[in-house]
Amino acid sequence: MINYIIKRIGIAIPTLLILIAVSFYLMHAAPGGPFTSERPLPAQVLANIEAKYGLDQPIWRQMINYLWGVITEFDFGPSYKYHDRTVNEIIGHGFPITLKYGFWSFIVAVGVGIPLGAIAAIRKNTWIDYLAVGVSIGAQVLPNFVMAPLLIIVFTLWLDWLPGGGWNGGAWQYLVMPVIALSTSYMASIARITRSSMLEVLNTNYIRTARSKGLPTKVIFFRHVLKPSLLPVISYLGPAFVGLITGSVLIDIYFSTGGMGYFFVNAAFNRDYSVMMGITIVVGSLTILFSLIADLLYAWIDPKIRY
Amino acid sequence: MSLLDVKNLKVEFETADGVVSAVNNVNFSIDEGKILAIVGESGSGKSQTVFGMTGLLDHNGKATGSVMFEGEEILNLSNEKLNQIRAEKIAMIFQDPMTSLNPYVRVSEQMTEVLIHHQGLSKSDALKQSISMLDAVRIPDAVNRIRMYPHEFSGGMRQRVMIAMSLLCRPKLLIADEPTTALDVTVQAQIMKLLADLQKDFGMSIILITHDLGVVAGSSDDMLVMYGGEIMEIGKTEDIYSSPTHPYTQGLMSAVPRLNDSEERLTTIPGNPPNMMKAPEGCPFAPRCNYTLDKCNSDSPVLAKVSDNHFRACHVAKEKIS
Repeated sequence: MINYIIKRIGIAIPTLLILIAVSFYLMHAAPGGPFTSERPLPAQVLANIEAKYGLDQPIWRQMINYLWGVITEFDFGPSYKYHDRTVNEIIGHGFPITLKYGFWSFIVAVGVGIPLGAIAAIRKNTWIDYLAVGVSIGAQVLPNFVMAPLLIIVFTLWLDWLPGGGWNGGAWQYLVMPVIALSTSYMASIARITRSSMLEVLNTNYIRTARSKGLPTKVIFFRHVLKPSLLPVISYLGPAFVGLITGSVLIDIYFSTGGMGYFFVNAAFNRDYSVMMGITIVVGSLTILFSLIADLLYAWIDPKIRY
Repeated sequence: MSLLDVKNLKVEFETADGVVSAVNNVNFSIDEGKILAIVGESGSGKSQTVFGMTGLLDHNGKATGSVMFEGEEILNLSNEKLNQIRAEKIAMIFQDPMTSLNPYVRVSEQMTEVLIHHQGLSKSDALKQSISMLDAVRIPDAVNRIRMYPHEFSGGMRQRVMIAMSLLCRPKLLIADEPTTALDVTVQAQIMKLLADLQKDFGMSIILITHDLGVVAGSSDDMLVMYGGEIMEIGKTEDIYSSPTHPYTQGLMSAVPRLNDSEERLTTIPGNPPNMMKAPEGCPFAPRCNYTLDKCNSDSPVLAKVSDNHFRACHVAKEKIS
């Protein structure tokens, strides 16, 4: 187990390096740069600015300098657009916001999705099942860019229950709508995966054995049905968790939450190289970390898998 | 009084294409300490007969008739009532020990939960009894092996675990649904020997479901031959073996390969089992039978006495069948 974890981390480092190299080249391959604007700067001025940020050097040199800064000082460099802020500051500001509403979205998606799928599976082909399946299909076909304005119309404009946007330090009133908008489609997927895998498990021979042993339904469900049913859910949850906590630009735009998704997309429009790289590295590392955690959880549930 | 008395048992499944009747008016009984074999090919309804009896049918299945166990009706009891009988009085083992044990739960837990739930034992007492039961089915090093997961056992050992698990509460009746089908031939013999030994030690009755006549011959007191959800022939195993009186039983017997036979090809019964979607009007075996009479296709034969305790359902005169 320990060996496996070390090996996985060992693989993670070259993976991240490749990710960084590819993103770096792709970013620079796009035409324009952080200092090109509609009103072109005089050539000499542009050259001076670029020299200040090291953009005049060959690209491999820039990358090595960048990496050196990241590794030795954990310094992701200055933002090219927000002149008074470093990338560390931008991520330090945006990530906690994203993490907060992403984490709660995850809790809601799992906390609603799994029971919903389980109830549908147990009450297969009854109105409860049809209702649960209907809700989850509805939630999945409703994209969050439709969901978000709908929520604002209903809860802010009509009912006037919740603020239509802003963050306010993450007070719960400001959290509710972003969490609902972000979690619904994940919740729907989790419910559908849970339902289908649980139906499969309920049909297995070992559940018939458990029934033939005269165990109460509750014992059969929690000891024999639940664990194997969650295996496919877990392989979905690893990437889903990263998707949730690294945020959604749409949530940040609709609810003005000021999370990382907003900065990421803005950075891409502005060719703000260092912000893009910084967020790419954060998201990449988290993806690698959580797929490792999902794999370890998998091994914990399925005794046939031993690393 | 018989331990188990099954009367007019019918099992039907409601499917999207209509009602499938898997078991039709089955009657049999079993006395204490006896072994009854139910024989038939795949789809003959032998497994559904016992699932119907014990309330383990799939959701779309429905059983009607009467099943008296120790003088009490158990058919279609509530799940709570049935749970007091299952494992406690009627235990089951299944065909494929590979998939019949939960691969995600330790053997210790799968065994002790039976004792904890049915007899209210403490965890440690339940574990002790489970270990001694594993010893009884001759699993070496039971103390350590009980902590393992099913996939860490071989096929034969897994079936031993299943058997040990089913016997924990000392049931009166063990239903063994093709217990040796998924195992190697040598292991099959060991498991059958084990079951026979345990049956004597525990004094229980066994319903042995199989399609292997070789298994039936050495190990059962009575046998029941099923085809198309109906009983074709029923009687003492030795009587049926020495003089099978139903064309289907005969067909099964002649399909058993023999070592002293010079023929290269195995004998088979031509044709396929009937489609249970539409129950045949006459004898279900008529389309594949060598002796078919006109009325075989229109009238369903009823079980008629051949000799004491030996019955058959066939229109053809016994003497004509050779």
